[in-house]
Order: sequence, then C-alpha cells, then structure tokens
Amino acid sequence: MNDILIWALLFVAVSILIAAILVLRVIKIYVQQSLNPTYFATAEEREKHRLAQEELAAAQPEKKSLWTWLLGLRPLSEEKDLVMEHEFDGISELDNPTPAWFMVLFYGTILFAVGYMFNYHVMGWGQSQEQEYATELQQAEEDRIALLQKPGGGGANKINENNVEASTDKAVLQAGGALFKNVCTPCHGEHGEGIVGPNLTDDYWLHGGTVKDIFKTIKYGVPEKGMIAWEKSMNAKQISDITSYVMSLKGSNPPGAKAPQGKKE
Amino acid sequence: MTEKFYYDNKIVRNFAIATIVWGIIGMTVGLLIAMQLFKPALNMGSQYTTFGRIRPLHTNAVIFAFVGNAIFMGVYYSLQRLLKARMFSDVLSKIHFWGWQLIIVSAVITLPLGFTSSHEYAELEWPIDIAITVIWVVFGINMFGTIIKRREKHMYVAIWFYIATFVTVAVLHIVNSFQLPISAFKSYYLYAGVQDALVQWWYGHNAVAFFLTTPYLGMMYYFLPKMAQRPIYSYKLSILHFWSLIFIYIWAGPHHLLYTSLPGWAQSLGVAFSIMLIAPSWGGMINGLLTLRGAWDKVREDATLKFMVVGLTAYGMATFEGPMLALKQINAIAHYTDWIVAHVHVGALGWNGFLTFGILYWLIPRIYRTSLYSKKLASFHFWIGTLGIIFYAVPLYFAGFTQGLMWKEFTEEGMLRYPNFLETVLQIVPMYVLRAIGGALYLIGVIVMTYNLFKTVGTGKLLANEPAEAMPLPEKYVAQGSDKKLHRVLERKPMVFLVLSLIVILIGGVIEMMPTFTIKSNIPTISSVKPYTPLELQGRDVYIKEGCVSCHSQMIRPFRSETERYGEYSKAGEFVYDHPHLWGSKRTGPDLQREGGKYGNVWHFNHLLDPQTMSPGSIMPPYEWLITQTLDTTTTRSKINAMRTLGVPYAEGYEHKANRDLDIQAKEIAEDLQKNNIKVKSDKEIIALIAYLQRLGTDIKAK
Repeated sequence: MNDILIWALLFVAVSILIAAILVLRVIKIYVQQSLNPTYFATAEEREKHRLAQEELAAAQPEKKSLWTWLLGLRPLSEEKDLVMEHEFDGISELDNPTPAWFMVLFYGTILFAVGYMFNYHVMGWGQSQEQEYATELQQAEEDRIALLQKPGGGGANKINENNVEASTDKAVLQAGGALFKNVCTPCHGEHGEGIVGPNLTDDYWLHGGTVKDIFKTIKYGVPEKGMIAWEKSMNAKQISDITSYVMSLKGSNPPGAKAPQGKKE
Repeated sequence: MTEKFYYDNKIVRNFAIATIVWGIIGMTVGLLIAMQLFKPALNMGSQYTTFGRIRPLHTNAVIFAFVGNAIFMGVYYSLQRLLKARMFSDVLSKIHFWGWQLIIVSAVITLPLGFTSSHEYAELEWPIDIAITVIWVVFGINMFGTIIKRREKHMYVAIWFYIATFVTVAVLHIVNSFQLPISAFKSYYLYAGVQDALVQWWYGHNAVAFFLTTPYLGMMYYFLPKMAQRPIYSYKLSILHFWSLIFIYIWAGPHHLLYTSLPGWAQSLGVAFSIMLIAPSWGGMINGLLTLRGAWDKVREDATLKFMVVGLTAYGMATFEGPMLALKQINAIAHYTDWIVAHVHVGALGWNGFLTFGILYWLIPRIYRTSLYSKKLASFHFWIGTLGIIFYAVPLYFAGFTQGLMWKEFTEEGMLRYPNFLETVLQIVPMYVLRAIGGALYLIGVIVMTYNLFKTVGTGKLLANEPAEAMPLPEKYVAQGSDKKLHRVLERKPMVFLVLSLIVILIGGVIEMMPTFTIKSNIPTISSVKPYTPLELQGRDVYIKEGCVSCHSQMIRPFRSETERYGEYSKAGEFVYDHPHLWGSKRTGPDLQREGGKYGNVWHFNHLLDPQTMSPGSIMPPYEWLITQTLDTTTTRSKINAMRTLGVPYAEGYEHKANRDLDIQAKEIAEDLQKNNIKVKSDKEIIALIAYLQRLGTDIKAK
C-alpha cells in the first residue's frame, strides 16, 4: 500500500512541477507586458506590427528549444524533403527521425529494467516474495501485541476457550442471534433445528454441550464432519456471543427439528 | 513491358463476411456471460450454457473467429497490393478460408460439450489443434508463395509484421499443444504444474502480442495511410519499433504469474521486460497518429478515420496499462480481479474491434465499386461503440480495484474485514450490470454496421477479380544508394527475414523456459505430495470439463490476507502431478487450493446442487446434472497409463486395480452422504468431483 502511495505522490509531484513551469511562463509574459507594454493607435497598426513580427520570425532560422527537440517534429512545409523514394501501393514513407522523447522513454525503461534485476537478483536489496511475506507476518504480530498492551485494546480477542463464559444478557443474545442468522443458518436452520448440521436445540451434543465445548467447536471447527473453523472469520467476542445464543436455544423445540445426534448432556 | 494480373477480391469479401458473422456471435455470447454474472438464472439450468463452458466459447469466438478472420481479410487485401501480385494459389486461399471456418464451427460444438484442455485461449482439444496447425501452414505457404512471386522488390513494413505474426503464432501454438491424447477429445498436457503454467502464459501473453497486436499493426500500416492519404511518419521508427517489439514481447509472459509459485527470477524477468515494452508498443501508436498530421480535418469528417484514431488511442492506453499492471505492487491488487478483464477489453473492443470496423467501412465499398450506404449510421456506430467501451471499462476498473482492496483489508484486531468472500462479490454486482450495458451498446453498434454494410453491398457489385498491372522484377538487381543499407537489403530477402524473426522471438522463450524445465532447484520437491487417487483424477477431469477454473483459482499468493482467508500459500512442489495446472487467472469465486477438508461432503453436495442454499446470494450456477450423470470409469485405465507415461509414479499394473480403488472411495463418500439423508449412487460424477475437492491442498499439512 505504501509503495502505491509513494508512486502516487511522485506522480502528483511531477504534475505540480509541470503546472509550475507553465505558470512561470505565464507570469514572465505578464511581467514583460507590464514593464514595457506595446500600444497601438489603431487595429490596423497592430495588424501591421504582427505581420512584421511574423516576417522577422520567418526570416530567422528556427531556434531549437528543448521542447521542439523533445517532440522532434518538423514543420509540415518541410515534408517534401523527407519523402523517401520507395512507394508501396501509393503509400510513401517519411524519413523522420525517431522522436527524442520516445528514445528517452525507451532508454529510461531499459535502465529501469536493468536496475530492477540488479535490485532483486544481483544485490539482493529487494525482498523476495517469501521474505515480504515473513515481514508482513512479523508486522502483524507486532501490531497484535501492541494492541493487547493498549488499555482496553484488543478486548475482543482476550476471550478464549479457557475463559469464555455464557451470558444471558439481552444485548449479547441479540448480537449472537444476528451473527447466527448470517453464518449458521445454511447448515443449522433458521431456528437451530438442524439441516446439514445437527439440531442445536435438543439435549444431545456431538462435540460437547458446555460453553467451552461449543466455543471450541465454533472456533476450530470439525472439518471431517463439515463444521467450519470460524476463527479466521470472526473475533473471539463474536464467537462467544454466538455460543451464548446457541446455549439460549436449548429446549425451544422448533418445527421440523432434526433427530438427535450424539450424547445426551 | 508491364504484366497484367488480377487481385483476388472474392476471398477478401468472404473473410469479411465471416468476420462480421462471428463477431456478432462471439459478442452475443460475451453479453450472455456478462449477464450471467448478475443473473445466475441465465445459466439456463443446462450444462451446455453455464458460464464455465461458454466463457471459453466467447474468448475463442472473438479472438480466433472475429479477429482471426479480420486478420486474414486485411492480410489478403493488403498483401496482394503491396506485392503487386495475386495470392499465390486460389485453391490454398479456399482451403484456408473453409478450413478456418470449420475449425471455428468445431470449437462452437466442442466447447459447450465440455471438451477442453483448460489452457486459457488454447482450450480446443488435440484434434482441432492439429487442424489449426495444418490451416496455419496453408496460410503461411499462401503468403510466402505470394511474397516469392512478387513484383515489388522491397517488402513494406506491414509485411514484416505479417511475417512475424505467422512465424510466432506457429511456434506458440505448437509448443502449447504438446498433449498426450487418451481419447478422441481428451488429452493431458505433457507439462505439469509450474512448467505448464509458464508455457501457458508464455503462450497466452504472446497470443495477445502476435495474434491481437502484430497483425493489426501491419494492417494499421497499410490501411491508415490509404485512408488518410498521408505518408507514414517515420520509416526509422517502424524499423526500431518492429524489432524491439517482437524481441521484448516474448519475455513478458511471467507477468501473469507474479506472486505465484513460479521461481522469482522468472517473475522478475517478466516484470523487467514488460516495462521495456512501453516504448516499442507506443512506437506503433505514434507512427500511426503522426501519420495523420495534416489530415486531422479529414478525421473530423470521416467515421472510418475516427475508428482508427480511437483504436490507436485505446492501443496506447492498454500498452501503457499493461506494463503498469506488471509491476508487482500493482499486480498484488489487480491480479484475479475484474481490473484485468477491463484491461483486456480496452484492447479488444478499442484496438481490435475499432480497427476492424474502420477497415470494413473502407474496404467493402471499394471491392463492391460503390460508396458507403450511410455515413450517418457509421458515425452513429462510432459514437455508440465508444460509449460502449466507456460503459464497459470504467465500472470494471472500479469493481476490480474495490474488490482487490476488500480482499486485503484487515480490521484493527488483525481479522479480515471481509472474511466472507461473497460479500466482496455482492459489492460489485451493480458494476457487472453497467458492464453488460456497455457490452450491449457495443453490440448494437456492430449490428448497425452490419445493416449499413449489407445495404452498401446492395448498391454495388463485387469486383471479384480486380485488374492491375506492374513491371516484373528485373532479372538482375543492383542496389543503388540507400538501398544498400542493411535493413533495405533485409527487406528484399523474405526467407532471411523469416529466419531472423524466428531467432529473435525464440531467445526470450528459451532463456525463460529452459532453466525452469531442467534445473531441479526451481521446483523443490515435497515428499508428502502424492498422485491423485483414480476417483480424484476422474473428479479433476469433471472440474476441467465444467470449466471451474474460469472462476476459481488454485494458487494462494504469499500475502497475509490470502493465507488468513485460504490457508498456507501454494508451493511449487504441490503441483508436480497437475497435468494441466489449474491455477486460474480470475477469482469470481474464492480460491480452492486448500478446499480439502474445509467443508463436509454434504456441504459440497448441497452447494453444487444449488449454491444459493449454502451461500445465499451466490452467483454460482447450480450443477444438478452432476448428480444424475454417471461417471465414465471406462477411461480410468487409459488415464492412469497416460499419467504414468507423463511421469506420475503410479505402480506398474495399477491401472488394472484402479477402478476397484475408485469404487471403494466413491462408496465411502456416498455412505457419508447417506448418513445425512442424501441418497445418491456412488457412481455419479458429483461423487468424483467431491473427492477431488476434498483432496485439494491436503498433501502439505497446514500449520
């Protein structure tokens, strides 16, 4: 992400530079005109002056500014001198040079490419993708520790299977219920009656019915049975909320309940 | 004494008709798959019309049928006139035309049936691959025959591009078709895993280079100056950009595989050469645009030239964007998203499409000795087409960027912000709607063009054989002045030119592929990785047949956001038995490399039967036929044998026991489903597919 920001900044900086140069030119013209303005009595005179200026300019050999050099464009009037002798089905070609800016771009990219290979594979300055990944993990770990040390930070992740407690608090059950609707209903049904997954409202449990058991089942999943491990998708607080909600479903006898599975607890 | 001869316009007319017909068909299929992405019901509940099967139909139809025929139209028209000779052989021209159409028809039949090699843009199975080779050689003989009997001493720049196209496409197609057939329409690639991926993207990227770019640059060099009646801006630039383009392009393939298991050095070569591609590509654009110097007043009037200008501009944009996408920092976000789809379509709709339309508008009235029926309609086509491109590309850029960032976002607590993949899909569905509108506008334009050209043809008469005359080449040629220069000499020697182009394009490919194929350290072996069981192998072929790879990748990149979502990142050694590799290039759905054991068999069964039950809002089509169709186990023996031939260590004689093992494993899965009140026979295709999905990524123990 940072790299992209740097590139974007670079782009913006270059744009500002170009804009600044343009503004500078405008100011120059403005200052020139304010210091020694050119007045004309009539429009005719102005036109005369303009024509005279043009003649003067035409008489002088064209000054090569950096801009014209970069563009490398010759005036259309000189085109006839550039036409090459061969014609192909009426198509002729001009002997124009390759534009300078184009060559700058081409050599620039070649330099970049050589530098790129040097950076990653000769000098070893740039990180390989595996090293980048290790750095990323390390950073995440540091962030996690920093968050836990913040007062009140990372509270959600302080809950684990050893300290989780069931709650009957209304807000908790509501939060848990909302999450349940989002993630659990495809397998366990709208009311926990069981579809693919087992019935969650009876007294029978496949993997234990205590709050710690249910929390663990949700967190780590039972892959061989098709229960998904949710620890990557939900934080510990969310998992404990769902656990509390599931505990609250006991004995609700929803319609279409699936036959009991597992041990009675 | 001048010689009299006749240009063959009939063959040009035939290719033009084929271009238009296949263009409409290919784009209509494209519109259909675009709509399937926001309205899954449009998969129509039939296996022959699901996204996975017809997405390759769309790509093959627009690339090889629409663009392919347009290339032949442009080449056959310009080649004759640039060389002052009729095509070498009318018979070969006819064989070329009908052979190519037959190949396309066979693609239209076989792809929906699920016959696919699963290599992107090379999905056609081995018999069709052979047919393509034969017809391509016919085209080559016809082209070189014409060059040999030419009445113009030097070859114009357009022909350099045609020669490079011919020779490179031949090399690409042959190398990317090394398959071991096991039946009439099924084969396994000789390469596996990393090598297979490298060959595929060396091919895939250079199909863009030498099928969608070089022939069109050649056509641009002929048709643009003809239309504008202006000289080509710079002969020097043509030489520089031609040779640098064909030399550098070949190297860039690995930029499709950044952050994958491809060795780092190969990835970096792909990046470095992609950056160097900017100038050679832009050389073509500026030589075209500067050719229009002093003709811009014509561009204002003439829809044909407008098409050319926008086409060239789209080419310029796409060839700047490509190298940018090849920078790994940008690729980390863009890869697997719709950003890539947008990028491709700026090239396809803007460059290939618009150049084709421009050439059609210019060429058809000329060979029919009449003028265009309606300039107004052509102008309408131009504007609606341009609008279509904008409506197509802009929403998809937005969608790709959005989804790419959503996949990567973490909460403060270090959890994925969007752990549910589907959430990121639902976010961009509105963009899919806008994209389909863009595609529809573009297609309307093409239909308007078809009407316009049809009416044009009605007002004229085809001049099938256009008389021309030219001086024959002198017996002895003595070069004078500038004709002694090195490149001028080369322009008089077509065979030397051919060989030289071949050498230039072989260098990059050889340097990248040879070490990857021969040096063991590129693919560290993992002892726990074992061959697939017979049932899993069969299931893998079901996966291939259904085109799952169109929407699901099997390549987890080494990013925390991906290992959190999917599991341990993919290692090169995991794919050594994957003939072909199934890494994929787009994640319309989540990655499946570590799918094994994530869900139960029941979940997979229900999900394949009706994805929406397990993932409400999913845009995946249902696959109910997998439950009714019986797995063809008669092929097991030949598949095991073929795999052993390719180096997969199945024990000698295992092919006789394979089906017994297959039955045992299938029964286990069927019994597990039975426990959950799902009654399905163990010999159905879905069982094999579930077996394969449950195996994926389980060979290396995730932490």
